[in-house]
Amino acid sequence: MESWRLVVTWGADPSFNMGLDEALLEAAEAPPTLRLYSWSPDTLSLGYFQSLADVPGHDRARALVRRITGGGAIHHVRELTFSIATSLDHPIYRGPVAESYARVHAAIAEALRGAGVEATPRGTTPLDSDRAGTGMCFHTSTPLDLAWAGRKGVGSAQRRKHGRVVHHGSIKLGDSVLETGVATLPGRGTNPGPAEIGTLLTEAMAKHFDLAFERAVPDAVERGRARQLGVRYIDPAFVRSR
Amino acid sequence: MAAPSTRSTRPDDRKYTESHEWVKVDGENVLIGITDFAINELCNGNEGDLVYCDLPEVGRALDQGETFGEIESVKAVSDLYTPIAGEVVEINAAIEDHLEILSKDPWNQGWLVKIRPNSKDSPKMMDAQAYEKFLAEKKH
Repeated sequence: MESWRLVVTWGADPSFNMGLDEALLEAAEAPPTLRLYSWSPDTLSLGYFQSLADVPGHDRARALVRRITGGGAIHHVRELTFSIATSLDHPIYRGPVAESYARVHAAIAEALRGAGVEATPRGTTPLDSDRAGTGMCFHTSTPLDLAWAGRKGVGSAQRRKHGRVVHHGSIKLGDSVLETGVATLPGRGTNPGPAEIGTLLTEAMAKHFDLAFERAVPDAVERGRARQLGVRYIDPAFVRSR
Repeated sequence: MAAPSTRSTRPDDRKYTESHEWVKVDGENVLIGITDFAINELCNGNEGDLVYCDLPEVGRALDQGETFGEIESVKAVSDLYTPIAGEVVEINAAIEDHLEILSKDPWNQGWLVKIRPNSKDSPKMMDAQAYEKFLAEKKH
Protein backbone atom coordinates (compact mmCIF):
# COMPACT_ATOMS: atom_id res chain seq x y z
CA MET A 1 0.00 0.00 0.00
CA GLU A 2 1.42 3.37 -1.01
CA SER A 3 1.24 6.48 1.20
CA TRP A 4 -0.33 9.62 -0.29
CA ARG A 5 -1.03 13.03 1.19
CA LEU A 6 -4.58 14.30 1.37
CA VAL A 7 -4.64 18.11 1.35
CA VAL A 8 -7.99 19.83 1.89
CA THR A 9 -8.39 23.58 1.34
CA TRP A 10 -12.04 24.60 1.21
CA GLY A 11 -13.02 28.11 0.13
CA ALA A 12 -9.59 29.42 -0.83
CA ASP A 13 -9.07 32.40 -3.14
CA PRO A 14 -8.32 31.82 -6.85
CA SER A 15 -4.72 33.01 -6.66
CA PHE A 16 -3.88 30.57 -3.84
CA ASN A 17 -5.79 27.74 -5.50
CA MET A 18 -3.78 27.94 -8.72
CA GLY A 19 -0.52 28.80 -6.97
CA LEU A 20 -0.78 25.79 -4.67
CA ASP A 21 -1.39 23.42 -7.57
CA GLU A 22 1.76 24.70 -9.28
CA ALA A 23 3.67 24.43 -5.99
CA LEU A 24 2.52 20.80 -5.69
CA LEU A 25 3.58 20.21 -9.30
CA GLU A 26 7.04 21.50 -8.38
CA ALA A 27 7.29 19.50 -5.15
CA ALA A 28 9.33 16.58 -6.48
CA GLU A 29 10.38 15.46 -2.99
CA ALA A 30 6.83 15.38 -1.60
CA PRO A 31 4.72 12.21 -1.59
CA PRO A 32 1.99 11.96 -4.21
CA THR A 33 -0.84 14.30 -3.26
CA LEU A 34 -4.60 14.35 -3.69
CA ARG A 35 -5.96 17.82 -3.03
CA LEU A 36 -9.65 18.58 -2.50
CA TYR A 37 -10.72 22.20 -2.73
CA SER A 38 -13.36 24.80 -3.48
CA TRP A 39 -13.34 28.49 -4.35
CA SER A 40 -14.26 31.77 -2.74
CA PRO A 41 -15.55 33.82 -4.41
CA ASP A 42 -17.01 31.79 -7.27
CA THR A 43 -14.42 31.96 -10.06
CA LEU A 44 -14.20 31.42 -13.80
CA SER A 45 -10.95 29.67 -14.72
CA LEU A 46 -9.72 29.91 -18.29
CA GLY A 47 -7.76 27.09 -19.91
CA TYR A 48 -4.05 27.81 -20.23
CA PHE A 49 -4.23 28.68 -23.94
CA GLN A 50 -7.79 29.97 -24.01
CA SER A 51 -8.71 33.49 -25.08
CA LEU A 52 -10.99 35.45 -22.74
CA ALA A 53 -12.92 36.55 -25.83
CA ASP A 54 -13.84 32.91 -26.46
CA VAL A 55 -15.85 32.83 -23.21
CA PRO A 56 -18.67 35.34 -23.81
CA GLY A 57 -20.19 34.80 -20.36
CA HIS A 58 -17.00 35.47 -18.42
CA ASP A 59 -18.29 38.63 -16.72
CA ARG A 60 -20.96 36.62 -14.90
CA ALA A 61 -18.39 35.08 -12.56
CA ARG A 62 -17.14 37.09 -9.57
CA ALA A 63 -13.46 36.42 -10.23
CA LEU A 64 -11.23 35.41 -13.13
CA VAL A 65 -8.14 33.24 -13.16
CA ARG A 66 -6.09 31.38 -15.76
CA ARG A 67 -5.26 27.73 -15.03
CA ILE A 68 -1.94 25.99 -15.55
CA THR A 69 -3.90 23.24 -17.37
CA GLY A 70 -5.46 23.47 -20.80
CA GLY A 71 -8.96 22.94 -22.15
CA GLY A 72 -12.06 25.10 -21.73
CA ALA A 73 -13.27 27.47 -19.03
CA ILE A 74 -14.85 26.24 -15.80
CA HIS A 75 -17.15 28.17 -13.49
CA HIS A 76 -16.07 27.00 -10.05
CA VAL A 77 -19.29 27.19 -8.10
CA ARG A 78 -21.22 24.33 -6.49
CA GLU A 79 -18.56 21.79 -7.37
CA LEU A 80 -15.79 19.68 -5.92
CA THR A 81 -12.45 20.66 -7.44
CA PHE A 82 -9.56 18.27 -7.00
CA SER A 83 -5.98 17.96 -8.12
CA ILE A 84 -3.56 15.07 -8.16
CA ALA A 85 0.17 15.82 -8.15
CA THR A 86 2.77 13.11 -8.63
CA SER A 87 5.60 11.88 -10.82
CA LEU A 88 4.98 10.86 -14.41
CA ASP A 89 6.71 7.61 -13.49
CA HIS A 90 3.86 6.76 -11.14
CA PRO A 91 1.90 3.72 -12.42
CA ILE A 92 -1.27 5.83 -12.65
CA TYR A 93 0.39 8.26 -15.09
CA ARG A 94 2.95 6.10 -16.88
CA GLY A 95 2.39 5.78 -20.64
CA PRO A 96 0.03 7.64 -22.95
CA VAL A 97 -2.08 10.49 -21.60
CA ALA A 98 -5.29 8.70 -22.60
CA GLU A 99 -4.42 5.64 -20.51
CA SER A 100 -3.82 7.78 -17.42
CA TYR A 101 -7.27 9.30 -17.85
CA ALA A 102 -8.85 5.88 -18.15
CA ARG A 103 -7.25 4.86 -14.82
CA VAL A 104 -8.21 8.02 -12.93
CA HIS A 105 -11.70 8.10 -14.41
CA ALA A 106 -12.32 4.51 -13.32
CA ALA A 107 -11.70 5.63 -9.71
CA ILE A 108 -13.89 8.72 -10.14
CA ALA A 109 -16.69 6.59 -11.59
CA GLU A 110 -16.46 4.38 -8.51
CA ALA A 111 -16.76 7.46 -6.27
CA LEU A 112 -19.77 8.70 -8.22
CA ARG A 113 -21.39 5.29 -7.93
CA GLY A 114 -21.33 5.91 -4.18
CA ALA A 115 -23.32 9.09 -4.85
CA GLY A 116 -25.89 7.14 -6.86
CA VAL A 117 -24.61 8.05 -10.32
CA GLU A 118 -23.48 5.61 -13.00
CA ALA A 119 -20.83 7.62 -14.86
CA THR A 120 -19.20 6.17 -17.98
CA PRO A 121 -16.73 7.49 -20.55
CA ARG A 122 -18.53 9.33 -23.34
CA GLY A 123 -17.11 7.16 -26.11
CA THR A 124 -17.90 8.08 -29.69
CA THR A 125 -21.36 9.58 -29.18
CA PRO A 126 -21.57 13.37 -28.70
CA LEU A 127 -23.37 14.53 -25.56
CA ASP A 128 -26.56 16.53 -25.07
CA SER A 129 -24.47 19.00 -23.05
CA ASP A 130 -22.16 19.81 -26.01
CA ARG A 131 -22.72 23.44 -27.05
CA ALA A 132 -20.76 25.56 -29.47
CA GLY A 133 -19.65 29.09 -28.68
CA THR A 134 -19.66 29.16 -24.86
CA GLY A 135 -15.97 28.31 -24.39
CA MET A 136 -16.92 26.22 -21.36
CA CYS A 137 -15.18 22.92 -20.63
CA PHE A 138 -18.45 21.24 -19.68
CA HIS A 139 -19.97 22.18 -23.05
CA THR A 140 -17.22 20.35 -24.96
CA SER A 141 -16.60 16.63 -24.67
CA THR A 142 -14.06 14.05 -25.77
CA PRO A 143 -14.36 10.25 -25.79
CA LEU A 144 -12.50 10.09 -22.45
CA ASP A 145 -14.87 12.38 -20.55
CA LEU A 146 -17.14 10.95 -17.86
CA ALA A 147 -20.84 11.50 -18.44
CA TRP A 148 -24.20 10.40 -17.14
CA ALA A 149 -27.70 10.99 -18.46
CA GLY A 150 -26.09 11.99 -21.77
CA ARG A 151 -24.33 14.97 -20.20
CA LYS A 152 -20.79 15.75 -19.18
CA GLY A 153 -20.32 15.61 -15.41
CA VAL A 154 -16.55 15.69 -14.82
CA GLY A 155 -14.10 18.21 -16.28
CA SER A 156 -10.42 17.29 -16.32
CA ALA A 157 -7.05 18.39 -17.66
CA GLN A 158 -3.38 17.68 -17.00
CA ARG A 159 -0.20 19.74 -16.94
CA ARG A 160 3.05 17.80 -17.44
CA LYS A 161 6.31 19.47 -16.48
CA HIS A 162 9.81 18.27 -15.56
CA GLY A 163 8.72 14.66 -15.23
CA ARG A 164 5.74 15.49 -13.02
CA VAL A 165 2.02 15.96 -13.53
CA VAL A 166 -0.79 17.90 -11.96
CA HIS A 167 -4.22 16.58 -12.90
CA HIS A 168 -7.15 18.96 -12.40
CA GLY A 169 -10.71 17.76 -12.04
CA SER A 170 -14.12 19.29 -11.39
CA ILE A 171 -17.25 17.41 -10.40
CA LYS A 172 -20.43 19.46 -10.67
CA LEU A 173 -22.71 19.34 -7.65
CA GLY A 174 -25.22 21.93 -8.83
CA ASP A 175 -26.14 24.32 -11.61
CA SER A 176 -24.11 27.30 -12.81
CA VAL A 177 -25.45 30.12 -14.97
CA LEU A 178 -22.50 29.51 -17.30
CA GLU A 179 -22.78 25.74 -17.47
CA THR A 180 -26.41 25.06 -18.18
CA GLY A 181 -27.45 21.59 -19.23
CA VAL A 182 -24.49 19.71 -17.78
CA ALA A 183 -24.69 16.66 -15.50
CA THR A 184 -24.93 17.49 -11.82
CA LEU A 185 -25.38 15.24 -8.83
CA PRO A 186 -28.58 16.85 -7.45
CA GLY A 187 -30.16 16.28 -10.86
CA ARG A 188 -29.95 12.57 -10.10
CA GLY A 189 -31.82 12.83 -6.83
CA THR A 190 -28.87 13.09 -4.47
CA ASN A 191 -27.64 16.22 -2.77
CA PRO A 192 -24.07 15.85 -1.48
CA GLY A 193 -21.68 18.68 -0.75
CA PRO A 194 -18.05 18.90 -1.86
CA ALA A 195 -16.83 17.32 1.40
CA GLU A 196 -19.05 14.27 0.94
CA ILE A 197 -17.98 13.78 -2.68
CA GLY A 198 -14.39 14.41 -1.65
CA THR A 199 -14.62 11.60 0.89
CA LEU A 200 -16.10 9.28 -1.72
CA LEU A 201 -13.30 10.20 -4.15
CA THR A 202 -10.60 9.63 -1.54
CA GLU A 203 -12.05 6.24 -0.58
CA ALA A 204 -12.44 5.20 -4.22
CA MET A 205 -8.86 6.17 -5.06
CA ALA A 206 -7.57 4.35 -1.97
CA LYS A 207 -9.43 1.20 -2.96
CA HIS A 208 -8.78 1.41 -6.69
CA PHE A 209 -5.04 2.12 -6.49
CA ASP A 210 -4.27 0.53 -3.09
CA LEU A 211 -3.34 3.85 -1.44
CA ALA A 212 -3.21 4.95 2.21
CA PHE A 213 -4.10 8.63 2.58
CA GLU A 214 -2.74 10.74 5.37
CA ARG A 215 -4.42 14.10 5.96
CA ALA A 216 -1.80 16.86 5.79
CA VAL A 217 -1.44 20.58 5.29
CA PRO A 218 0.93 21.98 2.68
CA ASP A 219 4.30 22.62 4.30
CA ALA A 220 5.67 26.15 4.80
CA VAL A 221 7.70 26.03 1.59
CA GLU A 222 4.68 24.95 -0.44
CA ARG A 223 2.47 27.63 1.12
CA GLY A 224 5.09 30.28 0.43
CA ARG A 225 5.51 29.11 -3.17
CA ALA A 226 1.73 28.98 -3.59
CA ARG A 227 1.40 32.66 -2.66
CA GLN A 228 4.39 33.58 -4.82
CA LEU A 229 3.28 31.57 -7.87
CA GLY A 230 -0.39 32.42 -7.47
CA VAL A 231 0.11 36.12 -8.24
CA ARG A 232 0.55 35.36 -11.92
CA TYR A 233 -2.74 33.47 -12.29
CA ILE A 234 -4.93 36.46 -11.39
CA ASP A 235 -2.72 39.11 -12.99
CA PRO A 236 -4.94 40.84 -15.62
CA ALA A 237 -1.97 40.86 -18.01
CA PHE A 238 -1.81 37.06 -17.81
CA VAL A 239 -5.56 36.43 -17.66
CA ARG A 240 -6.08 38.57 -20.78
CA SER A 241 -2.83 37.50 -22.47
CA ARG A 242 -4.23 35.25 -25.18
CA MET B 1 17.26 -18.03 -38.61
CA ALA B 2 18.57 -14.50 -39.13
CA ALA B 3 19.88 -12.66 -36.08
CA PRO B 4 17.48 -9.98 -34.83
CA SER B 5 18.28 -6.60 -36.34
CA THR B 6 19.78 -4.01 -34.00
CA ARG B 7 19.08 -1.23 -36.48
CA SER B 8 17.03 1.58 -35.01
CA THR B 9 13.71 2.53 -36.57
CA ARG B 10 14.44 6.15 -35.64
CA PRO B 11 16.82 8.39 -37.60
CA ASP B 12 20.46 7.89 -36.66
CA ASP B 13 21.52 11.34 -37.90
CA ARG B 14 20.59 13.03 -34.61
CA LYS B 15 20.68 12.72 -30.81
CA TYR B 16 17.88 12.11 -28.36
CA THR B 17 17.03 13.15 -24.78
CA GLU B 18 15.24 11.38 -21.97
CA SER B 19 12.51 14.01 -22.20
CA HIS B 20 11.94 12.91 -25.83
CA GLU B 21 13.41 15.79 -27.80
CA TRP B 22 15.68 15.18 -30.77
CA VAL B 23 18.59 17.40 -31.82
CA LYS B 24 20.03 17.45 -35.32
CA VAL B 25 23.04 19.46 -36.47
CA ASP B 26 22.15 21.84 -39.30
CA GLY B 27 25.31 23.64 -40.40
CA GLU B 28 26.33 25.94 -37.54
CA ASN B 29 22.91 25.58 -35.95
CA VAL B 30 20.85 22.75 -34.50
CA LEU B 31 17.26 21.76 -35.17
CA ILE B 32 15.16 20.60 -32.23
CA GLY B 33 11.96 18.59 -32.39
CA ILE B 34 10.08 15.99 -30.36
CA THR B 35 10.05 12.28 -31.04
CA ASP B 36 7.28 10.07 -32.38
CA PHE B 37 7.13 8.50 -28.90
CA ALA B 38 6.37 11.88 -27.28
CA ILE B 39 3.71 12.64 -29.87
CA ASN B 40 2.06 9.28 -29.39
CA GLU B 41 2.05 9.74 -25.61
CA LEU B 42 0.17 13.00 -26.10
CA CYS B 43 -2.34 11.98 -28.74
CA ASN B 44 -2.36 8.17 -28.78
CA GLY B 45 -2.28 7.97 -32.57
CA ASN B 46 -5.06 10.52 -33.06
CA GLU B 47 -3.37 13.53 -34.67
CA GLY B 48 -6.50 15.65 -34.14
CA ASP B 49 -5.83 15.49 -30.40
CA LEU B 50 -2.95 17.96 -30.74
CA VAL B 51 -4.58 21.36 -30.43
CA TYR B 52 -2.01 24.07 -29.70
CA CYS B 53 1.70 24.71 -29.82
CA ASP B 54 3.41 27.81 -28.51
CA LEU B 55 6.95 28.44 -29.78
CA PRO B 56 9.46 31.11 -28.66
CA GLU B 57 10.25 34.38 -30.36
CA VAL B 58 13.22 34.47 -32.69
CA GLY B 59 16.18 36.00 -30.89
CA ARG B 60 15.34 34.56 -27.48
CA ALA B 61 18.34 33.25 -25.54
CA LEU B 62 17.79 29.83 -24.00
CA ASP B 63 19.71 28.06 -21.26
CA GLN B 64 20.29 24.34 -21.42
CA GLY B 65 17.20 22.54 -20.13
CA GLU B 66 15.02 25.66 -20.32
CA THR B 67 11.43 25.50 -21.51
CA PHE B 68 11.22 26.90 -25.04
CA GLY B 69 7.56 26.24 -25.69
CA GLU B 70 4.43 24.38 -24.75
CA ILE B 71 2.25 21.90 -26.56
CA GLU B 72 -1.38 21.13 -25.77
CA SER B 73 -3.17 17.93 -26.61
CA VAL B 74 -6.87 17.51 -25.91
CA LYS B 75 -6.22 16.52 -22.31
CA ALA B 76 -2.70 17.68 -21.38
CA VAL B 77 -0.32 20.62 -21.67
CA SER B 78 3.38 19.69 -21.77
CA ASP B 79 6.53 21.78 -21.79
CA LEU B 80 9.15 21.60 -24.54
CA TYR B 81 12.79 21.70 -23.41
CA THR B 82 16.00 22.57 -25.17
CA PRO B 83 18.97 20.33 -24.38
CA ILE B 84 21.24 22.93 -26.01
CA ALA B 85 21.88 26.48 -24.78
CA GLY B 86 21.81 29.12 -27.48
CA GLU B 87 19.81 31.69 -29.39
CA VAL B 88 16.63 30.92 -31.31
CA VAL B 89 17.35 31.84 -34.93
CA GLU B 90 14.22 30.40 -36.52
CA ILE B 91 10.97 28.72 -35.53
CA ASN B 92 8.81 26.40 -37.60
CA ALA B 93 5.76 28.66 -37.61
CA ALA B 94 3.84 26.23 -39.85
CA ILE B 95 3.54 23.88 -36.87
CA GLU B 96 1.46 26.34 -34.87
CA ASP B 97 -1.32 26.20 -37.47
CA HIS B 98 -0.77 22.62 -38.69
CA LEU B 99 -0.07 20.42 -35.72
CA GLU B 100 -0.78 17.34 -37.80
CA ILE B 101 2.70 17.79 -39.27
CA LEU B 102 4.10 16.52 -35.97
CA SER B 103 2.28 13.21 -36.34
CA LYS B 104 2.95 12.84 -40.05
CA ASP B 105 6.63 13.74 -40.14
CA PRO B 106 8.20 14.40 -36.70
CA TRP B 107 11.74 13.94 -38.06
CA ASN B 108 11.87 16.38 -40.97
CA GLN B 109 8.95 18.78 -41.47
CA GLY B 110 8.18 18.52 -37.75
CA TRP B 111 11.20 20.41 -36.44
CA LEU B 112 10.20 23.07 -33.92
CA VAL B 113 13.08 25.50 -33.40
CA LYS B 114 16.47 26.22 -34.91
CA ILE B 115 19.07 27.28 -32.35
CA ARG B 116 22.55 28.77 -32.71
CA PRO B 117 24.42 27.00 -29.89
CA ASN B 118 26.45 29.03 -27.42
CA SER B 119 29.13 26.36 -27.39
CA LYS B 120 30.51 23.77 -29.76
CA ASP B 121 30.48 21.25 -26.93
CA SER B 122 27.18 19.45 -26.84
CA PRO B 123 25.78 17.82 -23.70
CA LYS B 124 25.61 14.05 -23.46
CA MET B 125 22.62 12.70 -25.34
CA MET B 126 21.57 9.32 -26.70
CA ASP B 127 21.97 8.01 -30.23
CA ALA B 128 18.97 6.34 -31.84
CA GLN B 129 19.84 2.88 -30.60
CA ALA B 130 20.39 4.03 -27.02
CA TYR B 131 17.11 5.98 -27.15
CA GLU B 132 15.22 2.88 -28.22
CA LYS B 133 16.83 0.92 -25.42
CA PHE B 134 15.81 3.69 -23.02
CA LEU B 135 12.21 3.47 -24.25
CA ALA B 136 12.20 -0.31 -23.95
CA GLU B 137 13.42 -0.09 -20.33
CA LYS B 138 10.83 2.59 -19.58
CA LYS B 139 8.06 0.15 -20.45
CA HIS B 140 9.14 -2.26 -17.69
